[in-house]
Amino acid sequence: MGAVTCLMVAVVGLNALAAGAGLALSAVAIWVAVDGYKLYPISGVSGKDDIFAGAWIAIFTGFAFFLTCIFGIFAALKRSRALMLVYLIIMFIIFLFESASAITSATNRDYLVGNSNLVKKQMLQYYADSSTQGQQITTTWNNVMTQVQCCGADGPKDWIQYNSTYRQLFGAASLWPLACCRRQSSNFEVANVISCKAGEMTSMFTQGCFQYIESVLSRYTWAVSWYGFSVLMLVFFTLVIAMIYYTQLP
Amino acid sequence: MNTHTAIRLVSLLSIWMLAAQGQIFQPLLAPANFLGQITSNTVILQQPYCVFTQTCPGCEIWLVAALSSGTGNFNALVNISSPISLSLSPYPTAFLPSSAQFFLTRVGPLANFPCNTAPTFPYFTVGADGICTGINCNGVLPVGSIVSFRYLLIDPNNNTLVNMTNWGGPFNLTTLLSYQTINDGLSARSGAMVVITTLLCVAVALLLLVFFIMLCVSCCGKKDGKTVTVMSSIRMPRYDTHNLKERVHPYDNQAYESDAKNYSTSQTLPKSPVRK
Repeated sequence: MGAVTCLMVAVVGLNALAAGAGLALSAVAIWVAVDGYKLYPISGVSGKDDIFAGAWIAIFTGFAFFLTCIFGIFAALKRSRALMLVYLIIMFIIFLFESASAITSATNRDYLVGNSNLVKKQMLQYYADSSTQGQQITTTWNNVMTQVQCCGADGPKDWIQYNSTYRQLFGAASLWPLACCRRQSSNFEVANVISCKAGEMTSMFTQGCFQYIESVLSRYTWAVSWYGFSVLMLVFFTLVIAMIYYTQLP
Repeated sequence: MNTHTAIRLVSLLSIWMLAAQGQIFQPLLAPANFLGQITSNTVILQQPYCVFTQTCPGCEIWLVAALSSGTGNFNALVNISSPISLSLSPYPTAFLPSSAQFFLTRVGPLANFPCNTAPTFPYFTVGADGICTGINCNGVLPVGSIVSFRYLLIDPNNNTLVNMTNWGGPFNLTTLLSYQTINDGLSARSGAMVVITTLLCVAVALLLLVFFIMLCVSCCGKKDGKTVTVMSSIRMPRYDTHNLKERVHPYDNQAYESDAKNYSTSQTLPKSPVRK
């Protein structure tokens, strides 16, 4: 009897831990889905938004882990074989969905930000375009360039090396968007329009925006896939102990 | 002292003579810290401050932009101190295959570019007007071509060419790539993705395996489990009093009835309730 009680305590304790971890996973996935950095259009327009799809799955599986682990605590205390079997089957199904979410997010991140090509091509194609996707991309890039103080994907040279929608529409007026220009801190107007249009390096931003975009999307991905992975390892350990407990029940 | 002053005088004289001709200066590019110095169809040049030092009231500085074949055409068409037609090669048709391959555009009056000033932004863009239709507009250059420039000092009263600099350049314009040429396919898989995928697949497989082992152990294993198979006599507590008939045993402890089936055979059970 002592061994079974010890196993029961272990199962209850691990289930309590897994319930807390599942709730935290749900909360982190909500943070990713809300997209506080407002970079969703970059993945949405390209059709590769599975980082956010993985986050949505993780919201539901995290909450399902929470509920099922509480049920598991109840089943373990009741010492009931039937309830423990139900618990094990449900946990296994949720395990499958959560591992799908973690794998999907990690895989899709490589398509989006493995190198700067996709982000650069999308910027050249859609910035200043009047379609819906163009408006979204234009707003996103303007925000990024003014807040992060960067220009272009790899640098301002992107705007003069490649033909782009912006160049065809506004290239005669300015080689690059005015969002690339340094602004005064007092009233946020462009400090020196003429120097910026000519490309003088002190009056415009010369670093590329890709590093920032890559770091934000990686942050989202690691939140969903690495944290999901660690929750799954904890749940794996819990399920193995629960299965041993199941075999010891009368 | 005499030789010193004499040398100074001679050097000043020579510099004045050279400067008067305007031949030591040619159009220069903006410095390299201008990212838009040379693009595929525009060039940023330094404005002609202190290029033409002769006095010429009302004169204007013009720029001629020519491809490599256009320089020869222009040289053959004009001479210093001779009349020049400003519509020699209008911009809209300047770069057609049968045309002269150069065009003229106005930079500004000579009085705007004196010698002793330090201007804040002494640069201007060739091609700033985009694709324009005027005869002497500052239109864009052909994409990716090789261009040379020359400043001209023109007297607008009688349209004579007063002076001109050397050819500046040739400058190679950059070629313009199409964004369709960028390959945006998968570059490489990151190590994190490989680790997560393999470890999770292994974990799912292990869970399935342990689950089936557990089911087998719990369902099929109980039949030949560790149950006791000792067969011996078993005392069934019987609390009948003597006055009861032998057929009924109302005071048998029912709790032991299941044990009787498990732990005894018919031989060990008492056969007859009667004991005389």
